[in-house]
Amino acid sequence: MAGSIRGSGIAETAAVLPSPPRVRGRRWTVLRQAARTRLGPLGVVVTLATIAVALLAPAIAPYDPVKQDLGNTLARPDRAHLMGTDNVGRDVLSRMIWGTRVSLMAGFGSVALAVAAGGMLGLLAGYAGGRTDGLVMRLMDAVLSFPPLVLALALGAVLGAGLGGVVIALGVVYTPTFARLMRGQVLTITAREYVEAARALGAPGWRIAWQHVLPNASAPIVIQASLSVAFAILAEASLSFLGLGVQPPGASWGSMINAGRGYLQQAPWIVFWPGAALFVTVVGLNFVGDAVRDALDPRLRT
Amino acid sequence: MRASTPDADIDRRDFLYLCALASGALAPGLSAGTAGAQTAPRKGGTLRVGFYLEASTMDPHLSGSKVDRQIYHNIYEPLLTLDVKLGIKPGLAESWQQPEPKILILKLRQGVKFQDGTDFNAEAVRFNFNRMKTEPKSVRKGEVASIESVDVVDAHTVRLNLRRPDAALLATLTDRAGMMVSPKVAQERGAELERNAKGAGTGPFEFVEWVKDDHLLIKRHDGYWGKQGGPYLDRVRYRPIPDDTVKLQSLQSGEIDVIDYVQPRDVAGVRADRNIVMLDVPSLAAFSYQLNHTRPPFNVKALRQAVAYALDLDQIVKGVWLNVGTPANGPVPPTSWAYDKTIPFIKRDLAKAKAKLAEGGKPSGFAFTITTANIPINVQEAEVIQAQLAEAGMTAKIKLVDAATQLSDGNSKSFDMISYQWSGRPDPDGNIYQFFKTTPGTSLNWSGISNPQIDALLDKTREVSSQAERKKLYSELTKILQDELPMVYIVHPIEPKAMSPKVQGYEPIPDGMMRFKDVWLKA
Amino acid sequence: MGRLVLRRLLATVPVLLLVTAGVFALIHLTPGDPVDVMMAESVDDSVKTTLRRQLGLDQPLYLQYAAWMGKLLRGDLGRSIRNGEPVIENVGRRIRPSLQLAALAMAISLVVATPLGILSAARRNTSVDRFGTTFALFGICMPNFLLALLLIFFFGVKLRWLPISGYLDPFEEGLPGLRSLVLPALTLGLALAAVVTRTLRSSMLDALSEDYVRTARAKGLSESRVIRGHVLKNALIPVVTVLGLQLGTLIGGAVITEYVFALPGVGRLVVDAVFARDYPLVQGVVLLIAIGFILSNLAVDLLYGWIDPRIRHR
Repeated sequence: MAGSIRGSGIAETAAVLPSPPRVRGRRWTVLRQAARTRLGPLGVVVTLATIAVALLAPAIAPYDPVKQDLGNTLARPDRAHLMGTDNVGRDVLSRMIWGTRVSLMAGFGSVALAVAAGGMLGLLAGYAGGRTDGLVMRLMDAVLSFPPLVLALALGAVLGAGLGGVVIALGVVYTPTFARLMRGQVLTITAREYVEAARALGAPGWRIAWQHVLPNASAPIVIQASLSVAFAILAEASLSFLGLGVQPPGASWGSMINAGRGYLQQAPWIVFWPGAALFVTVVGLNFVGDAVRDALDPRLRT
Repeated sequence: MRASTPDADIDRRDFLYLCALASGALAPGLSAGTAGAQTAPRKGGTLRVGFYLEASTMDPHLSGSKVDRQIYHNIYEPLLTLDVKLGIKPGLAESWQQPEPKILILKLRQGVKFQDGTDFNAEAVRFNFNRMKTEPKSVRKGEVASIESVDVVDAHTVRLNLRRPDAALLATLTDRAGMMVSPKVAQERGAELERNAKGAGTGPFEFVEWVKDDHLLIKRHDGYWGKQGGPYLDRVRYRPIPDDTVKLQSLQSGEIDVIDYVQPRDVAGVRADRNIVMLDVPSLAAFSYQLNHTRPPFNVKALRQAVAYALDLDQIVKGVWLNVGTPANGPVPPTSWAYDKTIPFIKRDLAKAKAKLAEGGKPSGFAFTITTANIPINVQEAEVIQAQLAEAGMTAKIKLVDAATQLSDGNSKSFDMISYQWSGRPDPDGNIYQFFKTTPGTSLNWSGISNPQIDALLDKTREVSSQAERKKLYSELTKILQDELPMVYIVHPIEPKAMSPKVQGYEPIPDGMMRFKDVWLKA
Repeated sequence: MGRLVLRRLLATVPVLLLVTAGVFALIHLTPGDPVDVMMAESVDDSVKTTLRRQLGLDQPLYLQYAAWMGKLLRGDLGRSIRNGEPVIENVGRRIRPSLQLAALAMAISLVVATPLGILSAARRNTSVDRFGTTFALFGICMPNFLLALLLIFFFGVKLRWLPISGYLDPFEEGLPGLRSLVLPALTLGLALAAVVTRTLRSSMLDALSEDYVRTARAKGLSESRVIRGHVLKNALIPVVTVLGLQLGTLIGGAVITEYVFALPGVGRLVVDAVFARDYPLVQGVVLLIAIGFILSNLAVDLLYGWIDPRIRHR
């Protein structure tokens, strides 16, 4: 749900329900399956395009995103400014292009943090079992039940309001999801016969983790990650409403929407374009995640 | 109240017309009710008011927030009041005299009762002042610090014995420090008073109920002592609407009747809207930035001056404030009698700025942080300032903080340049003294300035009683402040108020407070 | 069953302990304190010091934590520093609008999502399905403050059909109260509807591929009988799960909606308390929200386990 920072409950339920067995080597089939749905490739294209825009920002932005022009504020889109100017005369298009970097950093950064932290914690819990498992999972439950907005707000006040604070805050908020996911995968996979066999043959824990657990766990994690990146990008936009995130004069799509809120009647383009960018990117990421999930789920293959 | 047209001059003319009518009044708001009105005032109706913040307490002695005052001025009454020109007029005190500089004698109005039925008299006044001085959570202590003791001369005469001459005291008594609370209510209700002020005041309206973050209701006090003019409204309902855009939209859609502030960016649109009446009310407020004198880089005067010369106040007021305000030359606002229009505000001069940089030992510029509150207009202003400073070679980083962090940073002097908004007081003393007087420890003197010349002048402004002389002192102070720069003043904003055309009889007073005594609603 | 519930309840205690430590540490790490905020315009420093001492804010942190925990164990959540009222009363006042908003949002989501989800699954890969999935996708990807903005603009300002700010209790004021909740409930409900549509579609597809459905079809029952009779009941279970999980989030998490529409809900209460550094209020409300979240999760888990025996003993 777009309003909640943590995202829809679907991912949580997915983590709880048992997942069907996987065998390595089907990955290629999976990709081919995903490619067959029309939306998957579209999503990939959109996502890659967004990443490209972010990387090429200095080259493709027509103006300096922070250059003000107080004589030309709230200008309608025209040939000089394809998407108009904002309330201090900055070019909306350039700010949008540079804003891609911020939004993607918020999205990928926080999820990377969450995957790393959550993955490690999940592995630890799954392998160690017993007391450690209990402690780690309790900790994750505690983070999960903490209202995410309050967590982000407080962390923002402690760490400073900039983008770094937001990335860390969102990373913390998403960690339990990945921890649970990883732990679930560890438990399911290590219970399988070939792993039992490997262990009986004397293979050390880390080798099992490397050879069997991680490759098989990667699919659900990738699915979840793609969805979480989408939610993180939306969450960054929501947090900018409360004053967190990139500091001025930098721009993110969320902060542009927020700043433009008061000018909705006079200059709707300030809100419209970053809103559209946000939307398209998030939809694209969702397509990617959905396509991979649909492809991996045998039940829907009829 | 005639509907405003896109021509700004008509607004100003209306306003001045009202001033001309009101200046002859003995009691506040007496004639304003008839100014420009087509029909006689009509009793009845509920006025719905939208504010940006929730009130924090109903006890005027414990209140530290500007929003509270808006309500207080309708249910409580101060000893003295202000007229449209910020002159001091009788309130609950009919007259006053100062036989010596350290004695103030107030003759109280007779026949006034608190809303709970008890009498308003000298005993009550003494009770109130003692409460302000002794109540542990009292925020008024500093404001009445100059009062040593209060004597009851007779049932309707009070003598205030001052510790030292205090020329600003009269103006202080027009606000919360002069507001009289029923002793019976204060004693019986104790801490409950903060949430329930039923019967506690003498004003034209009486507190009814307060549902936090939802609404605050006051109703007409039919036993009000004032027999001329209002109150006419049955009730006034205050609603906190934190989002500016939604607040204005609520007014536009007719859900509320009055809002306390129109953002500069909305002013043009509201002015053109025929369904809304907008009043440009000049205020006492000042927006500025404090510079930290206690640590680098701004412990060096030349660097502070470099900043001042690099700023283009004209551009800021035009581009950010959209001319809803005037560039500031110092802490005294244009609405004040002490305002000296012969002192220009610091004009931009990049050459001088660069020279000052060299003088301060940083010829190629330097970097620092601007800490500012996370409000759209602050953000915009900071961005513009950042660009202006960059042109002079100074690199400013913007740090956005919430209010609590801003206060904490300011109080602990952990900032380079920090934004500061002061809502303003009718007497210049309230806008100046506590910011620039040498004060050890935590205080409102965030910059940490300690200048004996300034200190001496500040003390003198309190001792001297002649307005003309004080004005000269304030002019001198303003010039020194422009040189020493504990604060860089940017703008004295205008605080436009907007209301439905049904609202009649509203008289704006530049202290920004909305008094509804003589307001009535057209059918 | 009773023992299971008790065991699960006891298991939540360590989690709650962690939450108390977390919220206490976090809010005390933020710069500034409530006295600074309350006394912002005060010129007298001694008043602040006295007040801090009265509130116990000058004690070392571990002692303050111990004091708070001591009160907690006696069932006392403390008093808000800003308004002096007990935390529980502050929350009690605000829970009503939040609950009503959540209930209305969930109702809207069910009304929209149920037909859409069923039809999408029943008519898979047709235009209906595509419409349903597209709607679901859009709902999930729309930033909720943007949606609120647009709803206010069209329904409030342009069309003037619905009030855009303020709260009236539907139980006390009837229809006007309901109207005051419609726009915010729509904002939350449409997004929720998107999630529910997806869940319902996916679980319907699951259920439709089960053996007993094939049996029923083979027996000659009409498609709609099949759906109504068996499939729907089972397909609704994950929906209940999702809604249950969302309830926990909606109560404390609809902050932005509450801000934009000026509703006096729990979300705004806690965010304002964070801004004002009102320590007891933040700590108390976060704890209550966490308890609410955990309890609703527990309830959903147990319900799920009870309905679907395959999952019961995980």
